[in-house]
Amino acid sequence: MSTLDWIVLFGTLVSIVAYGLYRSRGSNTVDRFLLAGKTMPWYAMALSIMATQASAVTFISTTGQAYVDGMRFVQFYFGLPIAMVVLCATVVPVFHRTKVFTAYEYLEQRFDSKTRALASVIFLCQRGLSAGLTLYAPAIVLSAILGWPDRVTIALMGVTVVMYTSLGGVKAVTWSDVQQMVIIFLGLVASLATVIVLLPKTVSFPDALYLAGAAGRLNAVTTNFDWNDRFTLWSGLIGGTFLFLSYFGCDQSQVQRYLTGSSIAQSRLSLLFNAVAKIPMQFFVLFIGAMVFVFYLFAQPPVLFEHSQMELIQKSPAFRPLAERYAGAFNQRRAAALRLIEAHHTGDAALERQRVTEYRAAQRAIDETRTDASTLVEQSGGERGFSDTNYIFLSFVTRYLPVGLVGLVIAVMFAATMSASAGEINSLATVTMVDLYRRHFRRGASDHHYLMASRWATVFWGAYAIASAGFGRKLGSLIVAVNILGSLFYGSLLGVFVLAFFFRRVRGTAAFWGMVAGEAVVFSVFKFTNISFLWYNVIGCAVVILTALAITWAAPGNARTSAA
Amino acid sequence: MSGPREVPDEPPPFLGTWNKVYVAVLIYLGLIIALCWGFARALE
Repeated sequence: MSTLDWIVLFGTLVSIVAYGLYRSRGSNTVDRFLLAGKTMPWYAMALSIMATQASAVTFISTTGQAYVDGMRFVQFYFGLPIAMVVLCATVVPVFHRTKVFTAYEYLEQRFDSKTRALASVIFLCQRGLSAGLTLYAPAIVLSAILGWPDRVTIALMGVTVVMYTSLGGVKAVTWSDVQQMVIIFLGLVASLATVIVLLPKTVSFPDALYLAGAAGRLNAVTTNFDWNDRFTLWSGLIGGTFLFLSYFGCDQSQVQRYLTGSSIAQSRLSLLFNAVAKIPMQFFVLFIGAMVFVFYLFAQPPVLFEHSQMELIQKSPAFRPLAERYAGAFNQRRAAALRLIEAHHTGDAALERQRVTEYRAAQRAIDETRTDASTLVEQSGGERGFSDTNYIFLSFVTRYLPVGLVGLVIAVMFAATMSASAGEINSLATVTMVDLYRRHFRRGASDHHYLMASRWATVFWGAYAIASAGFGRKLGSLIVAVNILGSLFYGSLLGVFVLAFFFRRVRGTAAFWGMVAGEAVVFSVFKFTNISFLWYNVIGCAVVILTALAITWAAPGNARTSAA
Repeated sequence: MSGPREVPDEPPPFLGTWNKVYVAVLIYLGLIIALCWGFARALE
């Protein structure tokens, strides 16, 4: 990176952290530290919710996903508006009226303390692991650019996040998120404009769309029904709805955002803004990945986008023939792409079909060579199951974006990651303090004591996130890994909240064992079947409800332990 | 430790009732899916 890039990068990061801390002054009570004193306007909550969910993974992994698999990942978000409407109508007013700090606090009001404790622990396990992955994403950035070890960058980012989160609480997190989203939006627009400008003069924007579409990179909707296919219209609408109901209704990292609202209406508006804006935003990010694919039709990409693994296989005697095969395949694909555009312009349908077949065959040859290169990584002693999806966009940014813009895009990734990680650590600390420490270990202490406990819990979870971030490398596409992790736990959490809201006869013991059964079944499905992760939420939720109903039916005599 | 303060419920700033806002969001979702489907089919 140039000096200007470094100035842009550090200037942006310092201003974001400083602004967040400035807006968080006065967070000197538990209510202000954890819920911002319930004073936040809807637009700040809306952008904070979006930033917490987006993080650097959105830039790094989603663009790579579009490059290798097309845009069908957008269907994952089709369930989000449905989930938001359901939550606005049911959960949001209840959480506000019961004056809870956490979603799980409500479970004790409705069921009992053991159900609340189990839900809290499930959340802590899941979100703690995700916080590690969120920190891992920018470590890829620095590793790619500076050659720093992942562990060093993870620790640097984690320590910074812990510092401003433990000082400023949820207000620092929220207001820094607002700035993040403005910068993310600028970075997105600049990246797309640049990739389009960098296309060869002979390739117009409609031509680029046509080439991306012919290679299956614009497949935004797939209507086939397949349990094992991760991203279809149906898995998005059904599985996605359940996932987002769980995420926004039962995950404290999101619930805490809209609990800071100054009114129920403000909280609802923040969620509905996301219902409207999220799909177009994801579409836009994926579209950038599809355009990067078109760009690399005419500029030869590296065999592998991950520099260190590339260096590793270059030492192998098998690399030279593989590299020659790759160069040949690239030249064939470029020629096939140009011939396809020509055929498209002539309007000869038969010729166009023939050219499409050639173009797709050339793409397959490229894909096969890259697969062989990944195998060579393993054979050379590199990572098992190596995937460079997360490096594709970064490689493009650092090699082709103009001076200054590189620093801005890298700053976006860093800042977004810090913000998302801060939100996660903040919510982990809240649940630890409110649902476990204050409830089970130290009742009736002073507000100052709980404030300090919240700050120390923030430090603890920051350290945990840093320690668990090292597992990120082993998980392939980060965005998929994050959602798989969430889906292992969310179904049970959603199930117990559905019981709480809609099954008035179910009591604490039934809900507790329902959750235990739900987790057991979801982990079994994960371990022993190929069912797509989006269905885990549906399965987990259904098992919790059915088990709790069966227990309630079998032992109807037990009185409910506490009223809602 | 004091709890969070009570927050008021209010009507939405547009469309009059929250139910109408929810219906509008779901209609929007239908349009978005139709647009994405049309986009994919047109450029396949």
